[in-house]
This record gives sequence, structure tokens and C-alpha cells, in this order.
Amino acid sequence: MTQKVQLFITCLGEQFYPTVLEGMVTLLERLGVECQFPNAQTCCGQPFYNSGFQSEAGKLAKTWLQTFGQSEAPIVSPSGSCVDMVRHHYPELFPAGTPEHAQAVAIAQRTYEFTEYLVHVLNVTDVGAYFPHKVTYHASCHGLRGLGLRTEAKQLLGAVRGLEMIPLNEEETCCGFGGVFSVVYPEVSRAMMQNKVQNILASGAEMVVASDAGCLMNIGGGLRKAGSSMRAVHTIEILAASESNGGLKRGAQ
Amino acid sequence: MTIPTSNPVLENLRRSLGRRPGDPVPPRPAILPPRPAAAPEAELDLLLSEITKLSGVTQRLTSAEIDSALSALLLAQEVKKATLWPTPGLAELKIETRLRQLGVEIVSPYADKQALGQCDLGVTEVSFALPETGTLALLSDGERPRAVSLVPRVHLAILRPSALRADLHQIFLEAKNHHYMIFITGPSRTADIELTVTLGVHGPKALYVWVME
Amino acid sequence: MSERPTYIKFGEYTEHIPANIPAAVQQATGRFLGLRQMRVSEMPQWEELRQAASNIRLHTLENLDFYLEKLEQNVRAAGGQVHWAADAAQARATVLEIAKEHNVKLAVKVKSMATEEIGLNHALEAAGIQTYETDLGEFIIQLMGTGPSHIIVPAVHLKKEEIAELFTQKLGVEAPPDPVKLTAIARATLREKFLSAEMGVSGGNFLVAETGTLVIVTNEGNGRMCTTMPDLHVAVVGIDKVVPDWETLTVLLKLLARSATGQKLSTYTAFISGPRRAAGENGPKEFHLVLLDNGRSKILQDPVARETLKCIRCGCCLNVCPVYKNVGGFAYGWFISGPVGAIFSPQILGTEAARELPFASSLCGACADVCPVKIPIPKILLHLRRRVVEGDEFAPASAPLMVRAGAKLGTFALGVPWLYRFGTRLLPIFTAPFRKDGWMSSLPAPANLWTKVRPFPAFRANFRQWWAKRTK
Repeated sequence: MTQKVQLFITCLGEQFYPTVLEGMVTLLERLGVECQFPNAQTCCGQPFYNSGFQSEAGKLAKTWLQTFGQSEAPIVSPSGSCVDMVRHHYPELFPAGTPEHAQAVAIAQRTYEFTEYLVHVLNVTDVGAYFPHKVTYHASCHGLRGLGLRTEAKQLLGAVRGLEMIPLNEEETCCGFGGVFSVVYPEVSRAMMQNKVQNILASGAEMVVASDAGCLMNIGGGLRKAGSSMRAVHTIEILAASESNGGLKRGAQ
Repeated sequence: MTIPTSNPVLENLRRSLGRRPGDPVPPRPAILPPRPAAAPEAELDLLLSEITKLSGVTQRLTSAEIDSALSALLLAQEVKKATLWPTPGLAELKIETRLRQLGVEIVSPYADKQALGQCDLGVTEVSFALPETGTLALLSDGERPRAVSLVPRVHLAILRPSALRADLHQIFLEAKNHHYMIFITGPSRTADIELTVTLGVHGPKALYVWVME
Repeated sequence: MSERPTYIKFGEYTEHIPANIPAAVQQATGRFLGLRQMRVSEMPQWEELRQAASNIRLHTLENLDFYLEKLEQNVRAAGGQVHWAADAAQARATVLEIAKEHNVKLAVKVKSMATEEIGLNHALEAAGIQTYETDLGEFIIQLMGTGPSHIIVPAVHLKKEEIAELFTQKLGVEAPPDPVKLTAIARATLREKFLSAEMGVSGGNFLVAETGTLVIVTNEGNGRMCTTMPDLHVAVVGIDKVVPDWETLTVLLKLLARSATGQKLSTYTAFISGPRRAAGENGPKEFHLVLLDNGRSKILQDPVARETLKCIRCGCCLNVCPVYKNVGGFAYGWFISGPVGAIFSPQILGTEAARELPFASSLCGACADVCPVKIPIPKILLHLRRRVVEGDEFAPASAPLMVRAGAKLGTFALGVPWLYRFGTRLLPIFTAPFRKDGWMSSLPAPANLWTKVRPFPAFRANFRQWWAKRTK
């Protein structure tokens, strides 16, 4: 019986990281998982929720639940923050006892962040990847503290042939993205981003890897602003790399 | 013991909590059990080691060694005037007599604040001690005034091994109904100026703890 | 700084962060965290302690009326007097009245956040009572006339040269730029005040209902001096500081100093039940406890936000907060800063005055991980953001209409799938002029709020087309 999953590609993932999404599909299929893609999906509503617009977020949540509630298959996403939104905040958006609340609770239990799905559902840590580079890992906050994912990405990256993991100073310190925070208090966000970039540049790695699009946008942009050619890549891009596809897909920043 | 019946703050609080006077209160959630004590020698070693880490000076003595220890302390700390608790424990060790014989002027612990402020050394006993943190617990009353361990720049605390307790629980059980207790964990300190640790801010700069064998 | 702010401008302040503040603050936070980590690794029961502390604090808050009544009975039984203050004005008036009754000319104060909250110093000075802060850091910033940059080490942003200059000017002494000598000067200056003051004012770390006991924790000994030498001791303490019994302290005292500075215990912990009993004992003849509400009972009505009041003021959340560490304490506009300030101030001052604070966080969650009493700070921040932007049963919305309208527009666009997909296809086309090498380094307002800091990645959505091709 083939495993089936629904792809939750996320708004940021869709707009800025299509190669990550392609990599996610390729990798899942390689592992024998059949992917479904509900085309009606848009945004989980997290930016609105985080800005305080809980009733607006509730509208988007309702739509999201309808979209992904059509199939019983688990939902997999390349974003820890979006999964955190669905798992922990969707139930809060609907009063207990309502059908939406029940649906939110049920769906929350089968919504997974990608590395979480691989390690804890598929029980896989070696995906057969090949990526001969020195890489340093930034622990995105929502995956780390929201979902409690402390080791999954590292386990998967640790099994990648040719990869050398270099420790990052202040690995678990926030990069300063914080969603709307980055544009509400840009100078504070800048200070936090610069601190993260300095640590990355000092690490001696060739690139930095993280599992959240928001972090990658912020850190990637920050590296470029600092005049560095270092790239910020998504965990999935590394896991999807192999000898046959020549490493990172062209087009990734 | 009647409470005034009109207390608008309390009444407002009750309204906020949705509670009425006499409403039941569930049991207080559990605490953690006390740390088990190691053997007495180990506990004493731990206590003295912790006090030393805090820049306290410790010594284990017999009464025969008190004179030379006092002599050394007075010299090291340039003590001219001292005050001490008039407790039987210190009297038994003849602390006041020894100090006088060594040329120290004794100020009564009941002297006025200004006079006490002139003292270099204050000598007390210790009611309880906590090895894990290097803490001395002193109860106070008419015979054990508080200023003696606070105002002079040197505090000498005479400790009997029987004062040691494994954890806070035991100390609190014995002390809770006494009206004043001070925990002393090392000499007075601050890091307020550029995080540089400096001793002797308002309390004593030097803490000596002598264990009587 | 203890004046009640009418509006806190976190955004404006952080537009230009003075470079010395983050540097100084980060030295302090780094030191404290390093020491804390050593303490935590020595204690296998650390997580259990946190949970016990959280449970007991919440239980106490939920039954606060019961414990406060018990506390009052026992303080009185111990010979102390209890006053209840609904708000800051009442608290100030009560302290002033007590001071006047006793003809107080000089008061010495222990560091107390509750007295900052009510602006007590200004009130005392205005009534002609000379008031000295005696905690070295507080003494320094009092002389300087500024607020604290950190809860535990309020003057950490000042260099020893600045402090030497300050002492020379304000104390009329030759003050060299050496911490040991500067401390000695402060010791001598304040000693004279301790020994002659008519009144000692303190706050309190805990109030033990079981026996009517005030617990005061300090490192310098000023807490002891202020509550031992004058004949009158007045303590102003928030009603949220009550704990049921001494057993509770076996949990909280193990967490407090370790979380704050990485010490196992602070140098001095005083357990005070009423005034002195014997003439020769030292200690005040009279002990007055002023219990302060000032909005706390209102906070207790809110089942989510009430966890704010579990706080034991350790300052650990400041030490881990990347936002705080890059801006320092002044940005938070009041005596309490960092993550706890961001949830406390909007609730006490109201969301109108402090509406910028709930957003002063990237919601990274580091604070919740370390809080010894497990306050769910990010959850409360989100709760308060909703209060600011949508309003709730505690306050009407205070976000501008434009912002709310913008949000509605956004939800509409994202809520209609074909509209979203259409917009997705248009974005790469419309933004083509701004694109270079896969990035957009400058965009028009409001997107320039992002691009002034770092470039935006180019819009390049094509997944749906890729998927459609494959599934043919």
C-alpha cells in the first residue's frame, strides 16, 4: 500500500523556492511516497495570526482546512513555522465544540514538517543523497521550539555522503526574520540578521542550511548584502541532491 | 483576630477571580523532596568548599587553636574594634576575653548605630548551614542582634557541625515560626560596575567561618 | 524613568540604537547565561523544579484572595501593619502618610520594581523626603537621572570612567575610574545614610502567607541595611508576590538566583516576619506592608494573560532575548524590559500606551524555554497583539484603521484561490524591472522596509506549472 501525502507548499515556498518544492516531490517519490497537490491552497494565514488579526487568520484557516480536509492523507510541508501554525494555533482559532475545532485538532495530528515526516513517519534518515560541501546549520525557531525538532534535520544531513557539517556559533539564536517583525522593526531585525550573518561567515562553511523559507530569505539576503557569495539553502535541496542531478539545482540562490 | 469588613481591593480581586469568601481552595501542588544528606564529614567538606568558592575563609579548629587563629585574623584584617553576640556559645569559647587580651576594643552589640559602625569585626554563631550552597542561616533575637553580622567589615561566624542541614526543607521546618532569619552566602558583592565583581559593598567584605571540632 | 509613560515609542527608539548599549548588555547577558548553564547542568531535577514552580504560582494566583487574607492575618499576628492599595496613587499616598506620621526626613531604599512602578521616589522627594537608592546600580542611575538598561544590572551600560565622573560631580569626592574604589565611595556615602535614615523602603521578592513573612533577596547587603537600621520599614509589594508557604520557597529559591545570575543563592536572603521583638535585637520598631494591585486583579480576569503574574523577576528572559540584546532596556520605555516587559507593560499601562511592545518580538520562543516559572511569553504576546489590532473584552482595538483595512484586503486576496494564483503569475512580471541576479535590492514603499536592510529574493513561482506538466 503506497503511502500518500498532500503537499502543503506554503506561500513563501511557492513564491521564492520552487526548486525546494520540486526537490521535496522528487525525494518523496524516490522514497516510495505518492504526492497529491490540492491546487486550491493559498496561505495558512500565519502572517495575519502573528500580526494580531486572529479573526482574519481564522477565515484563511477555515479555507485551508476545507482544502486539505478533502483527503485523509497526511500533509507534508517544507516549513516548520507553517506546520506550527496549523498544529498549535489552528485549534485556538475555533471555539471548542465547533466542527471547525474538531477538524483542526484532527488535521493538526497529521500535518508534518518535512524532516519530521521522514524521520518519524517514514523512519528514514539516509535518503541516499550526495553533496560534497562544507555546510553549517541554522536552527529555525519555529521548527526548533514550536515543533520540538532538535535533531531531525541534522540526522538527515549527517547521512548525506560527502557532506561536512560545521558547527555554527549561536546556532539556535533567531535570525531576525520573525515574519512581520522584519518590517515592523527593521533596524532590530537588521541587528539580529547581521549577528547571524557574522557567525555564518566566521564558521568557515561554504553555505548555510536551514529548514524555513523565512529564515532563508532573511539570511540569504543578508549574506548578499554583506558582499558574500555564500548561499543560504534549504535542507530539502541538499537531501534531494545526488550524483545524478549534479548537486544543487541551478537557480537556487 | 477580626479583619476589617470593608476591603475594596480584596473584594475587587474576588470579583475578578469569580470567588467568594470561604470558597474551597484545592491543595497546593507538590514540591520536590529534599536532597538526601551525604555522610557528615562529606557534608562539612562540601559546605566549606562552597564557602571558599565564594571567597569566604574557612578553618576547622579546636578551642586550643582559637588564640592563634584570632591573632592571624586580627592582623590580616587590621581589626581594632569588635562586637559580638552575648550568647552562651561564644561565652563558652571565651571569645570576648581572648579578643580583649589581644588588644581589641570591645563594643557592646547594643551600642548605638554609629558606635557599631566603627567596629571592624563582628562575631556570631550560626543557627543552620546549607552545604550545597555554602549558606549560613542566622536567627535573630535580643541575644543575637542583626547588625553584628552586617555592619562591621569582617564577619566571623562560629559554626558547630550540628548546625548543618541537608536542604532548605529542614531549615524552614525549624525556623519558620521564628520572626527573623538571614541567609548569608559569602561576603557582600556586586557586579554593577562593568560586571567587575567587587566584594564588601554594604555588608561585610570578609567572611570567616570557623568550625569548632 | 519611574514616571508612568503615556506612550512607549519602541519603534522610534530602535531606529537609532546607540552602539554602546547592545555591547554592554551582551556582556552582562553572556556572563549570566554562561553561569546559569553551569548551574542547570548540575541539576538533573531542573525541569521538574520549573514545572512545580509554575504549578504552585498558578495555583496561588487562582486562589489569591484566600492567600492574601491569610497573609494579612499573619503579618498582623507578627506585629506588622497591612495596607491595601488599589492603584499607584493610593500606594504613594499610603507611604507618604506613614512617612509623615513618623516625621521622616531621610529614606533609604532597596531596589524595588514595585516602587518604580508607582513612581514612589518622585513622590517622596516632592514631599521633602530625601530618598537614596542603595543598590549600587540603582544608586548610580539615580544620580545619573536615567533608567535601567537591564533589570539585574541597571547601570551595566555605563563605563567606569563615566561613573567616576558622576561620583566626582555629584558626591564632591575624588573618584578614580576603578570599580573597587568606586564601590568603596558608594559604601561610605550610603553607610552614613543607612545609619541615620528614619525610614527604610523595600519591595519584596516573596510574601509567605503561612507566617506573614517577607522575603528579600540581595547581593550587596543594602536589603539588610534598609530593613535593619531604620526604626521604620515600609515594604511595597505587588499582590502577585504571595506564595502559600515556606515549602514553596524550597522550589522558588532554587530557581531564582540560578536563573538570574547563575549563582546558587544570592548573597543575602532575609526572612522578615513583622518588626523586631526585643529592644536590643536591631530591626525596625514598626513594619508596614503596602499590598499593591494597580491592575493585577484585572489581569487575573484573563485566563491566558494571567500567567504573566507568575513572574519572579529573575531577568533570565532578558538574557536570552535576541531583540532585547540588540536594543537594551531603554527601548521598552519603563522600568521593566525584555520579554516580560513586553507583556507586563501593555497590561498595566494599557494597550493604547504600550501597543508597540507586543510586536517587539520575533516570537523565537527562547524566553519561554528558560523562564523558571514557565510563563508562555510568546503565547501572551500573540494574545496581546490581537488585543492591539482587533480588540477584545479587555480593550478596544488601537491599531489604525488603515492597517485593519489592509489586513482585510490581504485575507480577501489570499482567500480566493484563483485570485491568489493569478497574482502569483503576475508578480514575476511586474517585478521584473527590479530584478537582478535573482534578487531585488530596492523596492518601492512599503516593501522598502525590507529592502533597506537586505535584498528581496526575486519572485519566481512556477511549481504549479511544473506539477501540471508532470501529471499529464
